[in-house]
Amino acid sequence: MDEPGSGGPSTDGPVGRCLSLLTRAFALAGGAILVAMTVMETVSITLRAVVGAPIPGDFELIKMGTAIAVVAFLPYCQLVKGNFIVDFVLARASDRVKAAMDALGGLALGFIAAILLWRMTLGGIDLRASADKSMVLSLPIWSAFPPILLSLALLVAVSLYVFWRDFKAAVR
Amino acid sequence: MTGPELGAAGFLVLLVLLALRIPIAVGLMVVGLTGYSIINGVGPLLNYLKTAPFWTYHVYDLSVVPLFMLMSQFATKAGLNAALFRAANLWLGHRRGGVAMATVGACAGFGAICGSSIATAVTMARVALPELRRYRYSGALATGTLAAGGTLGILIPPSIVLVLYAIITEANIVTLFQAAMVPGILAALGYVLAIGIYVRLRPDAGPVGDRASRREQWRGLLDVWPVLLIFVLVIGGIYVGIFTPTEGAAVGAFGTGLIAFAKARMGLNDFLDCLVGTAIPTAAIFMVLLGSEFFNAFLGFTRMPLILAELIGESGLSPMAVLAVVLIFFIALGCIMDSFAMILLTVPVLWPIIAGLDFGLDGEETKIWFGIIALIVVEVGLITPPVGLNVFIINSFAKDVPMTETYKGVVPFLLSDAVRVALLVLFPALTLTFPRLIG
Repeated sequence: MDEPGSGGPSTDGPVGRCLSLLTRAFALAGGAILVAMTVMETVSITLRAVVGAPIPGDFELIKMGTAIAVVAFLPYCQLVKGNFIVDFVLARASDRVKAAMDALGGLALGFIAAILLWRMTLGGIDLRASADKSMVLSLPIWSAFPPILLSLALLVAVSLYVFWRDFKAAVR
Repeated sequence: MTGPELGAAGFLVLLVLLALRIPIAVGLMVVGLTGYSIINGVGPLLNYLKTAPFWTYHVYDLSVVPLFMLMSQFATKAGLNAALFRAANLWLGHRRGGVAMATVGACAGFGAICGSSIATAVTMARVALPELRRYRYSGALATGTLAAGGTLGILIPPSIVLVLYAIITEANIVTLFQAAMVPGILAALGYVLAIGIYVRLRPDAGPVGDRASRREQWRGLLDVWPVLLIFVLVIGGIYVGIFTPTEGAAVGAFGTGLIAFAKARMGLNDFLDCLVGTAIPTAAIFMVLLGSEFFNAFLGFTRMPLILAELIGESGLSPMAVLAVVLIFFIALGCIMDSFAMILLTVPVLWPIIAGLDFGLDGEETKIWFGIIALIVVEVGLITPPVGLNVFIINSFAKDVPMTETYKGVVPFLLSDAVRVALLVLFPALTLTFPRLIG
């Protein structure tokens, strides 16, 4: 058994290379948000200790940042097949059978991610219309949606790519 | 089909999908969304999906998960795993079985700054396995020690599984972190004891290593000051309430990052590797989290968990018997499934059952106690032959050690685990006293 995330289809060819670069860029952007959160919290705690007042509303930024960052991680994880599977019943099955099942999983996720992209686009528009804001900083809640929707769109593309790769491996 | 029947059918379909290699998260989503639309219709489902995924991720305490992941990436880049092993080996290596004991000690130390088992096992295997083989430790003992030692990563706080458990059951994360401390230390001591007894029975399995001078020993200990500093700062700060868990994790990741820059001269590429390395495990957990949100929304409408809990509550079975069945189920599932996924999948159904039984503790205490025992038992599954995930991963690092040897090697640790689980089940005070003292 390999370490999680060490697998995944080869990403040669223009589409694969492009997706590989894009997913990595999204993962790095998510990571950068996390690093920014660590800096903000460290500053906030220092301020609280020294001046007695933390950065106001930092927890609102943390919630927003976490949601945006983790969704940005999803496409990369899908491309390198880092998702948890139960490799037990089919552990000794042929590579073709495994590829066929992986293709099915990729297709299902692509379909679900596409539905989420569609519905959450509407959800974001609703939230914008209702002008929901966070309590302290008055951040409009919908402002988290554009980056999340971009990540979801990439997840759809990656899932379909992984499906196509596995499908070809299964019928070869 | 009645609601509860639909819920049970959903579980069955899910099991079939998982057996067919469908990713756990995808299986949960497919069954959850289909079930939701069968019960409520497609319109309400589409409405639910507009914002549900966002609110699932837009949770303050969840930020702890990626932040601790980032922290363990930095800790590895900083070479803290190697420093821990060196220090422990200087102190313990000259004893019979000492290098293996040092491995357990280093795993416990790394567990104190890392929240995940497989990460701890893999990280420590890279530094400890070559040394264990160099001192001619048997393949069984070397790989068994690392597979078992890895489970300390999750027992000793911070523990990411506990964060997930707390979010599902609405338990207090800080109390859970406090409660995990004594069982975590017991685990490390139990493993050292298991090695001691094992090498007494099989002296050639764990030869003595080199003896270091006092001077070298203290110098080795000096090298691990960052671990101690981070642990005291993060866990201490969370325990006494200076930090929220999120703040602790953020400060810990920030500090560990600084140490990686200063001590190990982490360059830009290494830094970017850490970010990407954070992405995979984090995304895998959050995918399952979203899947379990969908699946549990569906299960909630079927009322299946409630009715199951009522049935078992009224059945007159003794609480301990029910707990025993639940724990055996956990071990079985833990053999084939990652601990994060397993907690997210099972706790929403099993916790209401446990909550309905009388263990002589109040509700909050039962929640904490069951969380710790569940965590430990899930980890036992990780090293249970013939499947345990940790066993496979460690064995893949030692190509010359046959799988059967690794299976033999984990047996002493499994015995130690069995004794510890029995103690913790019979004496809840072992788990609950420490949080009471400092809480």
